[in-house]
Amino acid sequence: MTTPEQALEQARAALASMRATGAYEAQQGDELKPGEPITSGKLFEWALIEPDLRNVRSTRRLGAPITALKRGLLKLLAQYHAELIAEQARFNVNLVLYVRRLEERIAELERELRAAEPDPRRESAEG
Amino acid sequence: MNVHQVLSGAGPHDAITTEALVFRGCFREWGWGGSDHAARIAPGLNGSIAQLARLRPRSDDVLLIHHSAGAPRLHELLALPNPKLLLHHNVTPASWLWEHAPLVAVQCAIGREQLPELVRAVDLAAGDSAFNAAELQALGASRTEVIPLLVDRNRLGSPRHPGAAADPGGPPTVLFVGRLSPHKRQDELIRAFALYRRHRAPDARLMLVGDPITPAYAELLRAFGETLAPGAVSIESGLSEAELGDRYRAADAFVCLSEHEGFCIPVLEAFHFGVPVIARPSGALPEVAGDAALLVEDRDPALVAELMHLAITDQHLRSELRRRGEARLEHYAPAVVAEQLRRAVLKTAEAARR
Repeated sequence: MTTPEQALEQARAALASMRATGAYEAQQGDELKPGEPITSGKLFEWALIEPDLRNVRSTRRLGAPITALKRGLLKLLAQYHAELIAEQARFNVNLVLYVRRLEERIAELERELRAAEPDPRRESAEG
Repeated sequence: MNVHQVLSGAGPHDAITTEALVFRGCFREWGWGGSDHAARIAPGLNGSIAQLARLRPRSDDVLLIHHSAGAPRLHELLALPNPKLLLHHNVTPASWLWEHAPLVAVQCAIGREQLPELVRAVDLAAGDSAFNAAELQALGASRTEVIPLLVDRNRLGSPRHPGAAADPGGPPTVLFVGRLSPHKRQDELIRAFALYRRHRAPDARLMLVGDPITPAYAELLRAFGETLAPGAVSIESGLSEAELGDRYRAADAFVCLSEHEGFCIPVLEAFHFGVPVIARPSGALPEVAGDAALLVEDRDPALVAELMHLAITDQHLRSELRRRGEARLEHYAPAVVAEQLRRAVLKTAEAARR
């Protein structure tokens, strides 16, 4: 006969007694694994745009003629889209290159910083 | 009177799109005209929402702006001379999304940045919960309204099939309905469920229903479920309303450990189906659930597991939660919400005339 107001305390008490018997021990490996890291290689891959024309379709019932029309229009506009994609890809690739150069500069600065720091082991030996 | 609704994005399984279409039904019933528009329209809506570029309001038409993410061409919209009503559905903090869905995170970050400008530009600001309305007040809105989400409880079918028992029977089944997204914390739910299964109900099942924020995130959750509770976690997307109703009917408990909720319709849906609710009291959730859910702030998944056990096995608790859930639904009865909507639209038109 638990009321909603009593439920939390009752659950806490049940948990405490379960834990006293060794239940609910800490688990290993129960963290959500992070997704694939976004590396500069991945950014380069994404920088070059390659639209999949199979995704251009109608979602309506009996939409096959509309799908054909959409794909036909894309063919007619292919020259314009090629121009557009080339411009966007140029921007993307240069941006990724810029980020990569910045990464290299940061790495270089970190190396210099480490080299400039006094070695604590040598200091304690001299002290 | 004409009321045009503007959404930042629209899709067939999107709660705000569904609400806008229900609102449109109300407007028609009241003899009001207008059209519904979105800047981004996902396939599958079959023309029920038009492109934002096709919005051509007359100067006295009311614009109802639903805000839930970054809205393209907002400046053009706000420059229109029309009376404007903002309905703030809240925007997920981008920090939850950068790692798994950076494109969505950008939309959310922009949505948050646009909010002060929206508050300044509209004639009346409203939130779909008092929690959301408080955000608007913090941004300087002098007076705000609350227009809760209009939930048509019969949309998903009757709570039980004729002749069926109050409880579904079979192995204990835990359900959560909501976008598969980091802030909804399906990962924490899987962790708590795995403990419940290990220590209390070895045959228990967990059903996660919702559209994934990215296909990769759904795969990540699937793999996580398979690691912690092999064969016991199902993930489903794109369900029809009838199928969603069936999932609620099959559930013994609804558990929501979401970290950010501007409203949380699935809690009301669970009440409709008489499914006991356990939830983290984040955002508007305590306000929506009232005294009809077991709210747990504690981060210990073992405690959530014990609450699941209690909510599934204690018949007195279950029937009391059912009774309170039913009473809670009265607070969000469509006729009550529709009246709040009507008043807010009329107030907007009046405020603009002054």
